[in-house]
Amino acid sequence: MVIRIAAVGDVHLDEDVVGRFRPALEELPDCADVLLLAGDLTRHGTEAEARCVAQEFGDLGVPVITVLGNHDHQCDQVPQVVKVLSDAGITVLEGTGTVLECAGGRLGVAGVKGFGGGFAGRCASDFGEPEMKAFVRTTRESADALAAALLSLECDSLVALTHYSPVPDTLAGEPPEIYPFLGCYQLGQAIDSAPTALALHGHAHHGTERGTTPGGVRVRNVAHPVIKQAYSVFHLGDQVD
Amino acid sequence: MTGRSGDVPPDEYVEAEIQSMLAEDPSVAEQGITVVRRERGLVLYGEVESPHRREEILRRVAERFPDTPVTSDIGVIRTQAPTQVEELP
Repeated sequence: MVIRIAAVGDVHLDEDVVGRFRPALEELPDCADVLLLAGDLTRHGTEAEARCVAQEFGDLGVPVITVLGNHDHQCDQVPQVVKVLSDAGITVLEGTGTVLECAGGRLGVAGVKGFGGGFAGRCASDFGEPEMKAFVRTTRESADALAAALLSLECDSLVALTHYSPVPDTLAGEPPEIYPFLGCYQLGQAIDSAPTALALHGHAHHGTERGTTPGGVRVRNVAHPVIKQAYSVFHLGDQVD
Repeated sequence: MTGRSGDVPPDEYVEAEIQSMLAEDPSVAEQGITVVRRERGLVLYGEVESPHRREEILRRVAERFPDTPVTSDIGVIRTQAPTQVEELP
């Protein structure tokens, strides 16, 4: 049995984009059991932009689950953004998870925005100025929340949804100097602490699609500029090409 | 490619200022645009979600750095439905 997952991130909706995704989204009920959005739904994180997201990604005929991204925090209107999305039937995850009954089994999705910090050997440390310690603690708390959410779900297939990247593999194409602003190894560690089947993220517009965690979990960067289509579809299951 | 001519070759600080402006200017708010310094000026490349955003980027850069030669190679990301799926056994 197969669970069909559609996913995209970094759609950056505002009035000028409303309607662009909709024709492709109308096909979702025929090809996917769920749509996962990997954050940066808006440009500035305003309530008005969230309404554009609700209009574009609401009433699709499949469940829609999202995390927020850094752009969605820009105007400090996160509660309003979450309310608009929730009112449109979109599930917003932040250190939380949900389980969907699909024809191919129970799909568990745990999500968190995540944060930067860098990767093994090239990362920030919880040391020194209060600002640096606050930065790294944000990274750690976010990853810990993801791990707890992943481990809390009882399901047949488990997916981790983040905005920031859990691995450097899918950042290839970005300048290496900015990797610490694009993701952190702690998210990968969280993903590897649970029986995760797939990890999806966005944020890295110049990155690449495929990677794996050190524990072998498949990672996909579904940022819209990377996949260059309305969404990608993944079949999680037992069949081989 | 669309281009605009100016007189002053950009230095590293102009490059950095434009990169910051693209992210921080509320009318742009783009972190996915790369600024590359060439012999004859700057090249902006990357992809945005609408033609309006591309025009706004060029308008704001020209307004703030009127003497900097800028060439744009910014595309608009396609939004067609996928034709293939990835099987993940």
